[in-house]
Amino acid sequence: MKKLILYAVVGGIAFVIGYFVNDQFFSDRAPVQPINFSHKIHAGDNQIPCQYCHIYAERSRVSGVPNVKRCMGCHQIIKTDSPEIQKVASYWDKKEPIPWVKVYNLPDHVYFPHKRHVRAGVDCKNCHGDVASMARIEKVSSLQMGWCLSCHTKREVKNGRDCWTCHK
Amino acid sequence: MPGFLERIAGKLKSYREPGYYTKLDHKWTMVIDLDKCNGCEACVVACYAENNLPVVGKEQCEKSRAFSWLRIERYVEGEYPDVKVKFIPVMCQHCMKAPCETGCPVYATYHNQDGLNVQVYNRCVGTFTCATYCTYDVRRFNWFTYKWPKPLEAQLNPDVSVREMGVMEKCTFCIQRIRSAKDTAKDEARPVKDGDIKPACSQSCPTGAIYFGDMQDPESVVAKLAKSPRRYRLLEELNADPSVIYLKRVMGDGTSSHE
Repeated sequence: MKKLILYAVVGGIAFVIGYFVNDQFFSDRAPVQPINFSHKIHAGDNQIPCQYCHIYAERSRVSGVPNVKRCMGCHQIIKTDSPEIQKVASYWDKKEPIPWVKVYNLPDHVYFPHKRHVRAGVDCKNCHGDVASMARIEKVSSLQMGWCLSCHTKREVKNGRDCWTCHK
Repeated sequence: MPGFLERIAGKLKSYREPGYYTKLDHKWTMVIDLDKCNGCEACVVACYAENNLPVVGKEQCEKSRAFSWLRIERYVEGEYPDVKVKFIPVMCQHCMKAPCETGCPVYATYHNQDGLNVQVYNRCVGTFTCATYCTYDVRRFNWFTYKWPKPLEAQLNPDVSVREMGVMEKCTFCIQRIRSAKDTAKDEARPVKDGDIKPACSQSCPTGAIYFGDMQDPESVVAKLAKSPRRYRLLEELNADPSVIYLKRVMGDGTSSHE
């Protein structure tokens, strides 16, 4: 009996440590992107507004990953000698989209319109964190239902707690 | 029992009382004019396409596991050559006093503020209680996780989730279309107009037999049609207060018929 309790306790501790290690070091909060793109340089140092590149955020369900043309619009002139920019240019020459890795991924059964949230005056920072200081984009919010509802409750969204407002 | 448990129990109990929502935002209602219905089943096909319904095949249909959220009931009267065939399209009636809602042990089905009978797929554990309680036999159960053959998966509607094995489902009055109409109305800072929302069945009906609208708006088409003397509802004597209103078919000799 004593042995069983010992096993249970050791197992429990191992589980907690394992969960913590996995959560902190092995989960893909900040996946490596095909191009070493820095939001810090663009949104932080150069003060480019979010919606200059993510143009659909205000008028569509998705915020939109900017196309290569939008990158090249500036980078045909700016910093063309940098190796990372040359990578972008190679995608441009090949006429291929850049295979960005998605960081904020919602499950398919959730209806999330960016436009509703942007137009309601929710700042991008509320969900995406302080992007302007991130060298590589990192997931800062859990995107779980409780996290959604905490904000819906706080802001007293009309019908914000009805299942069919978000689930489809 | 501690106080907080009592409070939760009281709240849950109140959900099950009829007329829990005394004031609704909308009361979505469907009016089906049987005089116009010719039983072509275009609505059934549209429903399959819009709501990602799997085609289960002959074997499953034989076990009465056909998956149509909307079905056409056929009634044949008389002997050849003097045959009369009559049709009724039957879908979820979105009853205001729904029997299915009283049974669910996990509250996966409830009534929302729009007068809709909601099915929450993620909550459903598949006890089959609601389908047993349903008066109109419109609830469908996913016996398997159905797969679409290779090119057909590309035609799935992205606005509707694809359900998995063990989940009960039913007609939603095309909630994705209601939601998108509300979104558009909000962008234009106006309330939802009559005629903004057309469910897939209504849109595809070649004779325009299916009308959809808000019953609380007295100017809406459905509210006017609902005053028709031909009006009736399915199994009204059971007092489930369904939201789908049928208009009787007028026969050649001037009498009206339920089917």
